[in-house]
Amino acid sequence: MSPTLKTVLKWAALTVVLVVVAAFLAFLYFIPPFFLTPPEQFGKDMAEAAPGVADVADPAVRAIAERGRYIVMTTGCIGCHATNGAKGPDLTKYLAGGGLMMRSARGTFVSRNLTPDRETGLGRRSDDEVMRVLRSGVFPDGHVVPHTAMPWANFSNWTEEERYAVVVYLRHLKPIRHGTPEHAPGNAVTIPGAFEEGYGAKDYATK
Amino acid sequence: MSERPKRVQAAAACMAVLAVAGVLRTMHAQPAEPTPASVAAPAVARPSQPARDVSHGKAVYDAHCVECHGTSGRGDGPASPHLFPAPPDLTAGRYRIRTTETGSLPTDDDILQTVRQGLYGTAMPAWRRILSEGDVQDVVGYLKTLSPRFATETPAVVQPTRQIASAPDSIARGRQTYERLQCGKCHGTDGRGAGSVAQDFQDDWQRPLRATNLTEPWTFHGGATARDVYFRFRTGMSGTPMPSFADAASDTELWDLANYVVSLGRKPVWSMTATEAADFYGGLDRAAEANPVERGAHLVESVGCPLCHSPVDANGLVLPGMRMAGGLLIRIEPFGDYPTGNLTSDKETGLGNWSDDDILRVVTRGILRDGTRMLPYPMDWPSYSTMTPEDLKAIVAYLRTVPPVSNRVPKPTRKFLPLYLWGKFTFLILGGDPPMVFFPGNAGVAGAR
Repeated sequence: MSPTLKTVLKWAALTVVLVVVAAFLAFLYFIPPFFLTPPEQFGKDMAEAAPGVADVADPAVRAIAERGRYIVMTTGCIGCHATNGAKGPDLTKYLAGGGLMMRSARGTFVSRNLTPDRETGLGRRSDDEVMRVLRSGVFPDGHVVPHTAMPWANFSNWTEEERYAVVVYLRHLKPIRHGTPEHAPGNAVTIPGAFEEGYGAKDYATK
Repeated sequence: MSERPKRVQAAAACMAVLAVAGVLRTMHAQPAEPTPASVAAPAVARPSQPARDVSHGKAVYDAHCVECHGTSGRGDGPASPHLFPAPPDLTAGRYRIRTTETGSLPTDDDILQTVRQGLYGTAMPAWRRILSEGDVQDVVGYLKTLSPRFATETPAVVQPTRQIASAPDSIARGRQTYERLQCGKCHGTDGRGAGSVAQDFQDDWQRPLRATNLTEPWTFHGGATARDVYFRFRTGMSGTPMPSFADAASDTELWDLANYVVSLGRKPVWSMTATEAADFYGGLDRAAEANPVERGAHLVESVGCPLCHSPVDANGLVLPGMRMAGGLLIRIEPFGDYPTGNLTSDKETGLGNWSDDDILRVVTRGILRDGTRMLPYPMDWPSYSTMTPEDLKAIVAYLRTVPPVSNRVPKPTRKFLPLYLWGKFTFLILGGDPPMVFFPGNAGVAGAR
């Protein structure tokens, strides 16, 4: 091989490497920040994942569940109560929780399973218990969740009938067995007053 | 430990709760519930005079009550700015639900009842389902230490006259009393809460309050029996604009009025047939269309915009006067800093100069006026984009009415480019778990012009 050819090959290889690196950096720069999905589509998918209520047999209950669906969808319960798969939220497991961990001065909180599963979801809770969390942030074991972790102070402004509709709709979801860790007390952040959220594509469920 | 004053004991006796208190006292003393109070108060205590462990009461209060009522009891807990109605200032000793004369302190049993059954139509839950009776007794003992009035004043207990059974003639007389006392000025001629007096009432601490919709008895704070309602007229609701009508009407008239108000109650949606539900929801939609500002306020307050758009201190308390003025710093690793925007109608620093389309573009697509794109979280524009056009318009209509607060919030800033790329690489390719941090303090410049 002649020295000239060697030089050409060397430069060619270098150029290829540089182009690949530059292309990768450009790719990194330009890809949408969340899970390689364009933001519009990501949001649309999340928001439209709320199952419909056409299969509710009783027409009175169906009308209420439809209102509940609208509130659950527009308020964005899925924002915290999603379940993450390998490529971001797994929308087939609607509101099965575990997708978000919050660390605060008052402990660690993982978003809960809102599906009617009897062991890990709201199937364990009475309507009154669910509504008490939505209205007052008080869990059946007596602990009061900070309103910044679960915005119950804002949801307390739903009318009683709206809150009821939300519960009717949640009862209608597909039950998914997906256990999330209980609230762990203790200071979990270093910046006083700060709130940290783990929100990446991780599943914080325990079973 | 504080002994229950003798006069209060007498008041309790007047209320004929001895038997109930006796039962509760017995339960309280059972070894199954070894609270400090039950240990400290052996069976020799008389049934109506439970000894209360105030220090244990404070522990119960600190564990369960401070999120709304605040550490000092002034009704300024972290959650309080978002509650309508807001919790009262307990240091003033003005309790809404009483069986005592206007201006008077409540009896112990009044406070016990409020703690046990909660206040319907508010965020105050029924604590009897959560706390033991001993905890409830002790926390009431602690609440009474918050106001010095309890040490010096005696509750003036109302002696109700004989209840008048509900019947068409009583209800008809009650209706006349409703008109004569001008209840409709605040509660509306039809009782629906849309009175002719300005809708924005305030409690004694200048926090917004609404007149109760008398057709929705499940929201009556102190309960919806004729007896409950009678006592609200007779005693008034301290801390609120609801006065006592003891001087303006006879007791008989007040019982008739109670029967009339109870008769106004409509069917709740959970008892409706399909046709009734369709009519009901149709009516709600028409009312929303007729009053978009009110609908928008309801949406903004229940969706929770003010939660992130109000800067807080290190204790989670909203900075004074800064509600909805933005400036809460949210650092989203690895992308950058996203301080929340000023949602007030301030022309320079808020939404005052934004067009309706500018606002809707952020709310439904996450694109700021200068073209900056926001992430789909924590500003949940993907979910808000699923609202009906009417609801979105209502939100804009309401935001236009939020009083201006000057707070110039900086634009979102991306992280230093190499760190940004490296962060994206670790987050998106390696599957890392970077935090999103909500900082206390105001990232904006308040009062900027």
